[in-house]
Amino acid sequence: MQKHQQLKSSLFKLAQADGMPGAETTAAEVAKGELEKFMQVEKDVLGNVVGKIGGKGPHILLDAHLDQIGLIVTAIDEKGFIRFDRCGGADVRVLPAHEVLVWGEKTLYGLVCSMPPHLTKAESAGKAKPADELAIDVGMDKKSLSKIVKPGDRISLKGPQGELLGGRVFSPTLDDRAGVASVLRCLEILKDKEHGCRLTVLFSTQEETSGSGAKVASYKAEADEAIAVDVSFACAPGLLKEKCADLGGGTMVGVAPTLDRGMSKDLINLAQRENIPYQVEVMGGRTGTNADSIQNSGKGLKMALLSLPLRNMHTAVEVADLEDIESTARLMAAYILERGQENA
Amino acid sequence: MLKKIKDLCQIPAVSGGEEKVRAYLIKKIEGKADHEVDALGNLIVYKKGKKAAKNKVMLAAHMDEIGLIINLINDEGFLKFIKVGGIDTAVLLGRSVEIGDKAVKGVIGVKPIHLLKEEEKHTFPEDGELYIDIGAKSREDALKHVSLGDLAVLESQPTEFGTSLLKARALDDRAGCALLLHMIEQESQYDLTFAFTVQEEVGLRGAKTAAWALEPDYALVVEATTAADIAGVEAEKEVCSLGKGAVVSFMDRATVYDREMYKKAFELAEKHGIKIQPKAAVAGGNDAGAIHSAGGGAKTLAISLPCRYLHSASSTIDKNDLEEVYKLIVKLGEYYAND
Repeated sequence: MQKHQQLKSSLFKLAQADGMPGAETTAAEVAKGELEKFMQVEKDVLGNVVGKIGGKGPHILLDAHLDQIGLIVTAIDEKGFIRFDRCGGADVRVLPAHEVLVWGEKTLYGLVCSMPPHLTKAESAGKAKPADELAIDVGMDKKSLSKIVKPGDRISLKGPQGELLGGRVFSPTLDDRAGVASVLRCLEILKDKEHGCRLTVLFSTQEETSGSGAKVASYKAEADEAIAVDVSFACAPGLLKEKCADLGGGTMVGVAPTLDRGMSKDLINLAQRENIPYQVEVMGGRTGTNADSIQNSGKGLKMALLSLPLRNMHTAVEVADLEDIESTARLMAAYILERGQENA
Repeated sequence: MLKKIKDLCQIPAVSGGEEKVRAYLIKKIEGKADHEVDALGNLIVYKKGKKAAKNKVMLAAHMDEIGLIINLINDEGFLKFIKVGGIDTAVLLGRSVEIGDKAVKGVIGVKPIHLLKEEEKHTFPEDGELYIDIGAKSREDALKHVSLGDLAVLESQPTEFGTSLLKARALDDRAGCALLLHMIEQESQYDLTFAFTVQEEVGLRGAKTAAWALEPDYALVVEATTAADIAGVEAEKEVCSLGKGAVVSFMDRATVYDREMYKKAFELAEKHGIKIQPKAAVAGGNDAGAIHSAGGGAKTLAISLPCRYLHSASSTIDKNDLEEVYKLIVKLGEYYAND
């Protein structure tokens, strides 16, 4: 799939840098470097990466979150194994024998302990252990390990990146680096175009735990309206049709009581007019994304949500379709151009 | 030795599809020893020593590994599979795989945690619910790249970590293959016979025919075995430990080992300063089960590398144990060839 080579390499670069909730530094630096190609960028007190472009038109905030689900060190046991808990919504069923990186004074490679089938008892078969009964093996004794790793250090799930058929890719952390990539792609599309809008671009922290990053940054930005870009469920075996969208079927325009109905409608109309593939994602209340905290921050603003269909969410093999990242970027760009023209 | 292990562990060879491992071994062995391949695909190697042996000693390691076999491609282009050998679902979920000779990439799907009912969050899906996603949009699309019966392995790069550990897929039993290959490459005191066997993980199939044809007096099975020296396991339930040397079995689910050979291993280890430990549990099984009872029978012993997370893509050994296992099999080979 030659079509989106640049998008793919940008996405893989963003996704390779780890950033767990409250410890997003590595991912933030990579995203900041990319964003600086388009605008002035600063980091705020919670580690949010915030870029700004001035303009006389409406003030639009674009958000994608930086952080990924991970684990957090709670203790080191007598044998030198690391005990941990979840930091964000990791699925404990995938953890046994999983490769991890432990982000201590040095970054250590490790494996989540697992008992081989030869030694497991029939009564425990089929049941996953909770996180606090699992441990990580970094091949060191307690004494030397304690100098490098401390309680509170974050742990990331490690896994290869790769390409599947038809422009589909897999990698850890596509939730939500795929969103970050689509915002950057949108800025690329807008680069040589006059739109007149004032833009705030927010790559936010701590979405997977509390949404605090987006809440604080959007309060300070005081935008008129905002579009959050996150991932949502792509259809796969075992999922109900009404709970998922087609992978590769286009950007998902959110329609929900907490989202501005006018903005959702405008986005749908624009997608139709511009021939941008899209799907409608209907939710019954809050969205479970940063849209919830941004809409309600400070004096509030008009909120929209675009989602990217993603398979295997919260695992190290999240699957996305580059075409969906592209259509999300195109629709965002079209919206900004449209809003700028209305106010010209 | 380490390079050989890493090379061997990266070659996909699920039971019944061992040809690439066999080809690698033959290439290394050519010119150093005679070899033949039997009907099942076992590689038999005759190593000439400085002296003829009084007894026929056979050393065995299996070439195959656990994996998956594709048994259905559905209308949406997802692949269903059967597990080949004993594999827990936990070590498959959310992992990437390589399928068939073209190493087509795929991932094993997981229903997102957000959509699970409370009890599902701690329950593994049934085997029949598992599937591989290769990105295909239809059955027709998938069939251009994969076929029914294709074998698949978990993607895993050999990685050294910690003080002295090595993680790789298929250490069970490529580590054994590498040790025997290394032995073939060195000078030997006595004539020895080596069997690199097929289909161990699906019922010790290859070892049975190899042992029947070779009729050894003594057999040494070189393996990787379950070390449970991990967090939360009491000392007496660890089975064996990394860094404590060669593991010798007295009994497992397939074999009651020759008592004299078991004792001799400890005696030789003490004499030559080799680290050794018992496999302190009656668990698992290996080619010894087929070898000791093939034809007229053979006195058999299993000598293993202690290995954590066996039958996952993350099996892990201590590099220091390699030397201990190597020294012990050389000494045992010499002893029984001339006993």
